[in-house]
Amino acid sequence: MSFEEQVDDIEANTILGGEPFFSRAGGKIFIIWLGFTIVGVLIGVYAPHHLLPTLLSPQGSDVWKTIVVFTVLAAPVAAFVYAVSFYSLFAWRHKGNQDEPPPDAMPQRGNGPMTVVWLAISSLLVVVLLFWGITVWNTQQVTHANTLQVNVTGQQWLWTYSYPGTGVETRTLELPLNRPVEFNITSVDVTHGFWPAVLGVQVDANPNVTTIIRTTPDKLGNFTVRCSQLCGLYHAFMNNKAAVVTPQQFSAWLQGLGATQAAADQTAGISSSASSPTTTLPDATTATPTTVPGETATTLTPDTTAPATTAPATTVPDGSTTTTGPAGIPTTTAPA
Amino acid sequence: MSFTTTTHDDHDHGHGHGPAVEGAENPGGHHEPAELRDHKERLALWMFIAGDALFLILMVFTWFYLRTLNSNGMWDAAQCSTANPCEDGLGNPILAQITRADPWHAVIIAACTVLAAGFVWLAEIGAKKNTTKGAISTPAGMAFLFMVLAIAMQIYQFQVLPFTTIDGAYASTYEFFMGSTLAHLLILAFVGLGLWIRSTRGRHAGGTWYRVRLIRFFAVWVALSTVILTVVGALFA
Amino acid sequence: MTTALAPPLLEDTKLGPNAGGLYERLNIWTGLGFGIFLGFVAWVVSHATLQGSNWGTDMVVTCTMLGWVIGFNIGIGTFNAPIRWMLGHDQTHEDELYVAGVGQGRHRYLKYCTDHKVVGTQYLVLVMVLFAVGGTLAMMIRTQLITAHSSFLDPQTYNAIVTVHGMVMIIATIVMVSGPFANFIMPIMIGAKDMAFPRLNAMSFWVIFSAVPCILATFFLGGVNAGWTTYAPLSVQAPPAMDAFAMCIIVFVVSVTVAGVNTIVTVVTMRAKGMTMGRLPIFTWGSIIGAGLGLYAMPAFLLAMTMMITDRVTGTSFFVAAYGGSGWLWENVFWIMGHPEVYVILIPPVAAVLEIASTFARKPVFGYKVAIAGFVAIASLAIMVWAHHMFTTGWAPNLAGPFMLTTELISIPTGIIFLCTIGTLWKGSIWTRLPMYFVYLFIWNFIIGGVTGIYLSDVPADQYFHGDMFVTAHFHYTLLGGAMIGATAAVCYWFPKMSGKMLNERIGKVAFWLIAIGIQVTYFGQFWEGFQGMPRRVAYYDPQFLSANQMSTIGAYTLMAGWLVFLYMMLHGWRNGKIAPANPWHSKTLEWKVPTPVPLENFLVDPVVTSDPYTYGEGVPDGQEVPDFAPSDDPELVPAGSAGSGAQTDAGGDH
Repeated sequence: MSFEEQVDDIEANTILGGEPFFSRAGGKIFIIWLGFTIVGVLIGVYAPHHLLPTLLSPQGSDVWKTIVVFTVLAAPVAAFVYAVSFYSLFAWRHKGNQDEPPPDAMPQRGNGPMTVVWLAISSLLVVVLLFWGITVWNTQQVTHANTLQVNVTGQQWLWTYSYPGTGVETRTLELPLNRPVEFNITSVDVTHGFWPAVLGVQVDANPNVTTIIRTTPDKLGNFTVRCSQLCGLYHAFMNNKAAVVTPQQFSAWLQGLGATQAAADQTAGISSSASSPTTTLPDATTATPTTVPGETATTLTPDTTAPATTAPATTVPDGSTTTTGPAGIPTTTAPA
Repeated sequence: MSFTTTTHDDHDHGHGHGPAVEGAENPGGHHEPAELRDHKERLALWMFIAGDALFLILMVFTWFYLRTLNSNGMWDAAQCSTANPCEDGLGNPILAQITRADPWHAVIIAACTVLAAGFVWLAEIGAKKNTTKGAISTPAGMAFLFMVLAIAMQIYQFQVLPFTTIDGAYASTYEFFMGSTLAHLLILAFVGLGLWIRSTRGRHAGGTWYRVRLIRFFAVWVALSTVILTVVGALFA
Repeated sequence: MTTALAPPLLEDTKLGPNAGGLYERLNIWTGLGFGIFLGFVAWVVSHATLQGSNWGTDMVVTCTMLGWVIGFNIGIGTFNAPIRWMLGHDQTHEDELYVAGVGQGRHRYLKYCTDHKVVGTQYLVLVMVLFAVGGTLAMMIRTQLITAHSSFLDPQTYNAIVTVHGMVMIIATIVMVSGPFANFIMPIMIGAKDMAFPRLNAMSFWVIFSAVPCILATFFLGGVNAGWTTYAPLSVQAPPAMDAFAMCIIVFVVSVTVAGVNTIVTVVTMRAKGMTMGRLPIFTWGSIIGAGLGLYAMPAFLLAMTMMITDRVTGTSFFVAAYGGSGWLWENVFWIMGHPEVYVILIPPVAAVLEIASTFARKPVFGYKVAIAGFVAIASLAIMVWAHHMFTTGWAPNLAGPFMLTTELISIPTGIIFLCTIGTLWKGSIWTRLPMYFVYLFIWNFIIGGVTGIYLSDVPADQYFHGDMFVTAHFHYTLLGGAMIGATAAVCYWFPKMSGKMLNERIGKVAFWLIAIGIQVTYFGQFWEGFQGMPRRVAYYDPQFLSANQMSTIGAYTLMAGWLVFLYMMLHGWRNGKIAPANPWHSKTLEWKVPTPVPLENFLVDPVVTSDPYTYGEGVPDGQEVPDFAPSDDPELVPAGSAGSGAQTDAGGDH
């Protein structure tokens, strides 16, 4: 080829050729790519928020953040593949007689630089994803002092929760706000999956083994604990209601189930000094009620002559709790 | 069914009623070159052996995993005592402190497989030298004999074990090893019987000695895997 | 291609009256008959001797299944050749011609037949039947889930259907490309006369055929309620159906192992002269890499299921924690098989997609060597990722990080495959015939499947998603949307060669759009369910999941309609389609250079291979050709394959 022909050939066949960018293949593909990327990013930013339930812990929020970040990072890659594929159907499609093949295209067997760039970008993305994942995972391995221990026992087909030190065993789960909790999970028969989804943690319940997950609920709310590992006939029914409540409500709930006030308060992380959730047992005769701003105080002064427990706290689906204090006056505290 | 003996270099140039063609695989009946057949068969056998090796590795992994885990203390039921026997879910008593299997039984079985492999090797040498039928068929017969002895010994070991499969993880895994050995021995014995019968009919003379080599590979592999399982079962009980 | 002096075709050979011997009397009916007979005998004997003992029913079921499998294979003639070998009565040349199907016409499809084209066709029909069964079960699942508390199925039946749907689909997808196409097409592609071991080839088909009734029998034995993954210890407690399930798998493993060895040995040793490994079509590479990975995975499956049977039938405690076992042992061994296995499913159809993309873009495969390296990397990494299925089991939390690493690394070679695919399309001359439609759909679906897999590979995110419908949607996008659509493209592509007829593409396009839209609606509905927190494998769900489930069920019915139209297109094409020319796609691979229907032993003259089959646009004659049979005055003409000119080991060139 003459020099001019070679230049024409280069211009016709490479992205760097002489015509305006957006009227050439590369430019048009860029536009389609941009469109798909924007759609992907919008989906990543908005869809999880709308589709996921309210997440009640930092671990749960981590899940949401991960989905957003991963979608936003994946969108340009997916968009590129889609853009080239779609463009090929518009620009390079043979329009003539479909019974005969079109004439051969160019004998391009590969493109070294393109392959290297692709490998580099995908490797970089993988490194970013890994870094993100490992960082998040490590934050979840941190143990705290003074965690609330909850023993979870799975069986066919229900979950039982017990709070050591209180003697309470229930089939619903309640957790106090902002207190690190450590679940110790086991099964008495087959493998179940302990799945409090909105807390962002999950682990199987295995027979003869105790597995542990940790989380710190940081929002009030109701949720459902489900079983995530097929465990037989009524696996679909192995659900129970659960809630994250204030420490006061939590303590009251425990007491309603038979715990002494001391044990309940300690388990809830409430102490006689309101500032720090230490482990000092509040003196049963001189306990002063703690109040949380914005709430009506519930009188918890123990009366040795009156029945030791207050009426059980009931949790209705909207999350408000009604207790009857010793004076017989119902006091309703709504969740913050 | 017609069958005639054939010499190994009989090439068939047409479609007629050819003589019995030992192992020619393509329907045209035209001999594949012996090197090609050997290459194919050796490659196939190595791949089977590789898969079997993976099976072996996973069995040994199972042994060490359950032994380390010692779930509920029941690898060797050490927690059970005669005063306080354990029972399985069906009410059968689990022996206290499982008595280990006698390692010598397994050693004898392993020795038989090694001897069988050795005799197959002798048969292969006889086939390569291609002197008399007996040079192949006699060691082949001895090999088969030792394979049968190994099978008999393995069945005997099942019967005299001081435990049964219900007696915990050690018992389960040990008997699984025995079952796997027995299965391999049965396959080996089938092949060994075939080798013996065929060699008495003169099938493995000269040009097809590589077929005996193939059997030798398999026999050596069975011996090796039996030895490995014997060692694991004896030393790491 | 034939002239007045064309040699007599091998398949026209007149055989003597005793050709084939026992094989003359054996076929699928004798197989069924003897299988039922021996199964019945096994049932009676085991029932009489063992029923009263512990685990008696499980023993009876196991023995019955074993009796059926062995009896069927005796009745179809699988054991003839080994026993004849043992006795020293080798097959005669006439026997071998008979067993290759000469002189039997259509009947050879119902017999033990060593012709790889017959075996490939048998596999195709089996795969279609398996998809029909699995698909029907899927529709039952989706019908159940159209309301939150349907009375259509009770929980035990539902769980059993979920289990069998899963395993039947896994079996079907493992063999959907390696069965029909690695058998029928691949040997012709490499210039061979048949597979390396034609008898083992026939055996692998009939063995897998005999495994299928075992898994279907589970519905009548109480149903397996443990999902296709049959986690222990739940499965140790399952009804006797679980023994039949395990027997099906054990038999299946034998078939797949034999077939995998056969495929690899064929490609390594039976290539035509000049067909170096570097000139192989990419589909062949994908087939052997997938087969090799399968050889790694299958022993683990065999071990797991055998231990399961001993736990159930003899009281061992591999998986019973109270007696020293562990459910984690099951999970590890199972996933050591289970993860490589999905790449066994995926790699051959992806390689077929590359092959088809090349033909229909009239361009070489972009990055041929890079694609092969990508497949090898995927296969190697696949061996090292299995515990990403166990992130939430509580087993070895310290290994979560390493397994997250290996799992996310797999996205790199997978990405390379995408590069090769779109690189092939780049500035191609796109010929949008029906196979190409499915290539584009594959690209669309597999991107979604792959990206959603990345969420699951992140350990913290997996704590939300494990065990919920997001996982289900992810693997359906990759296995159905990716692998199965790739296989569908392969069916459309090779249909003219296998059946001699062309498909009606107008009907095909209707099927295509129903399938394409059906997949998106069905599985986006399930992603939605997964985000909301709906678990897998549940017969009933919270009302909050209703909309998402309705969306998914509507999509499923659309998808079903699409597959039915596709089936109709295949049947219609097979009966009434236009006669297909030998090379309707003007492709350059060897299978298109032989006549349709393909003669026995494939090549009347030896193929001439001087380059790879991707010389599009180079202005040179095709590098893989079968020269037209040249007329000659010599009346002693013999077809290719006579002594000295048969298929040889690769000679010369690089491997």
